[in-house]
Formats: sequence, structure tokens, C-alpha cells
Amino acid sequence: MNKRAVGYELVVFVTQWGLMLFGFGVLTKIIAPLNLVSTSMFLGLYFDAAVKGLIALVLSVTWLFIWDRQVRLYFHRRGK
Amino acid sequence: MANTIAILIALGSFPVSLALTRFFMYWNLKHGIIGIDVHKLNRPKIPEMVGVAVPITLVLFAAIYAMVGGSSSIPLLAYCLVVGLAALVGAVDDRLKLRGIFKPLLTLLCGLPVLILGLAFPGQVYTSTLHVPLFGGYHLPVIYPLTILVAVSVTSNTVNMLDPLNGSMAGGISIVAGGLLIGSLLVGAGSTSIFLYASLMFSLLGFLYYNRFPARAFAGNVSQLSIGASVGALAILGRTEIASIVAIFPNIQNSFFFLSRIRRFTEHRELTSKPTKLLPDGRLADSEDPRAPLTLVRTLLIGRPATENEIVSTIWMLFLTSASLAVITLLLTGVPR
Repeated sequence: MNKRAVGYELVVFVTQWGLMLFGFGVLTKIIAPLNLVSTSMFLGLYFDAAVKGLIALVLSVTWLFIWDRQVRLYFHRRGK
Repeated sequence: MANTIAILIALGSFPVSLALTRFFMYWNLKHGIIGIDVHKLNRPKIPEMVGVAVPITLVLFAAIYAMVGGSSSIPLLAYCLVVGLAALVGAVDDRLKLRGIFKPLLTLLCGLPVLILGLAFPGQVYTSTLHVPLFGGYHLPVIYPLTILVAVSVTSNTVNMLDPLNGSMAGGISIVAGGLLIGSLLVGAGSTSIFLYASLMFSLLGFLYYNRFPARAFAGNVSQLSIGASVGALAILGRTEIASIVAIFPNIQNSFFFLSRIRRFTEHRELTSKPTKLLPDGRLADSEDPRAPLTLVRTLLIGRPATENEIVSTIWMLFLTSASLAVITLLLTGVPR
């Protein structure tokens, strides 16, 4: 068993957890209160939700990208 | 008091799951429902789909709790339907060997009972407010209901993907359920979600008795998908959405790196490049095949082979870490549920 790999996994988990809390904080405090699309226009509520959903999606992809880079940095380099 | 009764009723799911597992071991073996344990040198034949004992126990005890627990039966009905539908998809996959793309698509439908019953009985099944650790919460009247379908599909498939070794799924998810149970108790969650988490944990422990190394029973897609769907449904019913994501970090990493390398939904059996290989001394090692996916097991084996038992213990330790982080997440959320 690669003990160093196990330790590195734990570091990755804690880092991703911290980033996740930060990301949800950004969504709650900054993105959610914004009126990105006027809710008075036709289907405005839904467009507003869609735009915010897209921002959340971008943040999620960024979060996974950081996870990907962390794991590849150690494991892929060692695995080759 | 209500939580104590909930846990006591849920405790009964351990012997029931144990007995059902034992029954299905013999029944499936007798009817030729078997799989081969490819991570053993002698490649023993093991009864497959025995994990069906878990969804049966979950549904049975949810029905019992609905009758004697005195809580609303609508969330329990939604939970039973989600678990039952996911088990059905898994059973069909076990018998007909569906293509990889069908499982995520069919499991999308498994979340429908939560969505439909939630719309029919507002406030009883889910609330559209997402509670975020440290930062309060926000209302998602449009996005939240749509996310339910995706959530159940993702959790069921990600749990399905991390069961390569004896006891890895059953042990891992029982740790997840245990962690979320402790967290829910600490934040004062409702007795229904306490019961459902306890029931999931005890049912899995009953199955784990026969599934642990060296396994005498295999779970099969029927239980992997239903257990994953159960985790997803519970995240919504118990309002533990973010903590549940944290608790299944090992599953998320495994699935993400599998998909990012293979770039399509496929079955492990269809892979031409295997992530691990069995050594002549019975230990498992990294296959060193650059085309193989970087699964969680493979990351733990890079450079150093290990026995199956050692790897499973390490996976459980990773689950213990993620479950601890999930408990902290629930405490930081700080909302009485």
C-alpha cells in the first residue's frame, strides 16, 4: 500500500471540502441575491434561474478541474 | 424520545438484512445467479445479486416505521418508490447487461417520485431552500426540483462504480450513513431522516457480514443502484444535500477520474484496459496501462502492490475522513432540521 498516496488523498479531500464551502459561500452571498435578468419580463424568473444555474455549473466544473489537477499532479506523474 | 424509537426500529433491519442475505446466497447459488471473484487467485464462484436483501429491508422497514412511527408517510412513500425503482433498474441491468449509457438515463427517472410527491404535497417531501454551511441559505424554486432527478441519478451511479473489491461499497456507504446519522442527531434533525439513515446503515452492516473479505455474497447492480439512490433521496428528504456530497467524496473522485479518462458511460466489464492487475502472490497492483482509468483503487496502488483486504481497509478509512468532514459540514450548517 502506498501510504504517501493515502496521505495525499486526505489532503485532496480536505482541500476540495474547503473550496466547496467557499464556492457555496460565493453562490449564497454574491450570486443568489443578484437580479441578472429582470423578473418582470416574460419568463424572467426562469431566465434568471437559468443564468444563476449556469454560473453554479461553471463553479462546479472549476472545482472538479482543481480536483483533477491535484490528483494528476501526483498520481499521473508517478503512474507513468 | 422519537429519535430513540426511530433508531430502535431501525436496529431491527440488521438481523432482517442478515437473514435475507443468507437466504438469497443459497437461492441465487441454486438458480445459477453467480459471479466470479476476479481478484482471487482461485477465482471462486460467488452468488450474485445477493445485495437485493438491502433494498428489500429498506422498503420493509420504511413501511413498518410509517405504520408505527407516527410520522408523515408521504416522505417514506417517496423514499420507498425511489429505492424500489432503482433496484428494478439494477435488477434489469444484472440480468440483461444493459449498455453503460442506460443506467444514468434510467436512474434519472428514479428521482421522479420525490419530485412528483413533493409538488403534490408542498413542504412535506422537500423544501426548495438550500442551507449552506456558514453562509445561510437561498431559495431555489426553479432549479432545486430539477436537481432532484440529477442528484438521484448521480448518487446511484457513483455508488455503483465504487464496488470493485469485497466490502468496499457496503462498508463505505455504511460509514457514510453512520456519519450523516451522527450529524443529523447533533443538529436535531427530524426523526424520519434519523430513522432512514439508521435503517440504511444497519441494513448495509447486515449485508456486509457476508460481503466482507473474503466475500461469500456479491451485491450486484440491484443493490448498488438502490443504495446510491437511497443516499440521494435521503440527502433531499433529510435536507443534508451538501453534507451528503462531502460524505461521498471517495465515490465522486472514483467516478470523475473514470469518466474523464474513458470519456463515455461504460461498464467495467467492457473495459479493454484494466486499472489493476492480480500478482502471482495474490496481491493487487497498478496495471501501469496508460489507457486505463485512474480509479481510486489504482491511485492507492501506484508504485506499491497491496492485498485486497488492505485496500478495502484504506478505502473505509477514506470514507471515515469524508464522513467526518460531512459531520462538520452539518454542524456548520447549523440549522435545526
